[in-house]
Amino acid sequence: MQTNLELPQTKKYLLLSILGTGFIMMIANFVGQDVTMLTTNLLYVPVPGALLVLSIIIAARFSVKGEHGRAWILFVGVAASWFVAEQIWLVYDLVYEIDPFPSAADFFYLVGYPFLFLFSIYYLKPLKNAISKKMLAYASLTAVTLLIPLLYMAYGIDSEISAFELTLALSYPIADAIVLIPALIGVILFFRGEVNFLWSLVCVAIVLNVVADTGFLITSMNGSYYMGHPIDMLFLWAYILFSFGVYSHIQIFKKHHPHISTQSLDDLR
Amino acid sequence: MFDATNAEISKALVTLAIEKTLLNMGKPVLDEVAHRLFKNYKCYIPDCHEHPEYLKSVLKELYGNCYNNIVESIKKTLDEFSTKKSIEHFLMVISE
Repeated sequence: MQTNLELPQTKKYLLLSILGTGFIMMIANFVGQDVTMLTTNLLYVPVPGALLVLSIIIAARFSVKGEHGRAWILFVGVAASWFVAEQIWLVYDLVYEIDPFPSAADFFYLVGYPFLFLFSIYYLKPLKNAISKKMLAYASLTAVTLLIPLLYMAYGIDSEISAFELTLALSYPIADAIVLIPALIGVILFFRGEVNFLWSLVCVAIVLNVVADTGFLITSMNGSYYMGHPIDMLFLWAYILFSFGVYSHIQIFKKHHPHISTQSLDDLR
Repeated sequence: MFDATNAEISKALVTLAIEKTLLNMGKPVLDEVAHRLFKNYKCYIPDCHEHPEYLKSVLKELYGNCYNNIVESIKKTLDEFSTKKSIEHFLMVISE
């Protein structure tokens, strides 16, 4: 959707949010690990929270009727399950001070993926004529290329972990690879000029989330991950990109006075 | 008894096809298109029968290059009436 609705103000706020979050995390990292842990955990309340609120607003505006409506209802599923997952993670990490893996947080993280995949299908549906088989093949190939080494790495995490934990660890790269396919198609469409920047933000956010997940897996494996690691910045940025993607749709499809839209067939009666 | 002319029937069919397609996408899409038609051209959806270029321009403004998908959907809805002269003209202009 290469439209003239680029909303420059929205882009400015997006940049400010990205820089602001990065700056907060950088300062926290300079101060110390305890501050970093606290700051990062606390950032996971308003950032995914804002996404949840915005997705509820857009879903309520479209309701369940129509293709857009169904897409945004599915997106509420993603935002809600990931918000719950982040809060469970926060409680485990900050209150109980225990390793949140495996926990109920994983269940909610994983529940978000089928919603995200279905949402991205609905999101891309209006562009189906612009999606070629070649594009689909490139996106699938990239996803598989990423999946194979990740599965190999995840499989070799720790020989002492249970089969359940191993299955859980392997689920993330598989889920990431699946959602990466439609997201990459969205990004390709942006570079081909078929869609505008704000429309593509949701797809960029999915790609960024996959990158963050991959980084999380690698840093967790080599033991270098800590709460507030720069990888967390990517997760937060992904939430911010999602939020601005949703916000741009709220801006475009504003509520209007009903007299205009209802004055259609009435004129013919 | 209400006697509709051919032009009025065509206008109603075109209006229904546009509204059905946009409603399939979502009520806010129909509202936004109607709002922009009124804001930019001071016209309503039935007026697109005479001025398909207005609808085309609004759809392009909202959906950019992929407005074609919406046009395809409208064309599909109007397929069986496409032999009617005024509908044929409408379809030709929005498909250009």
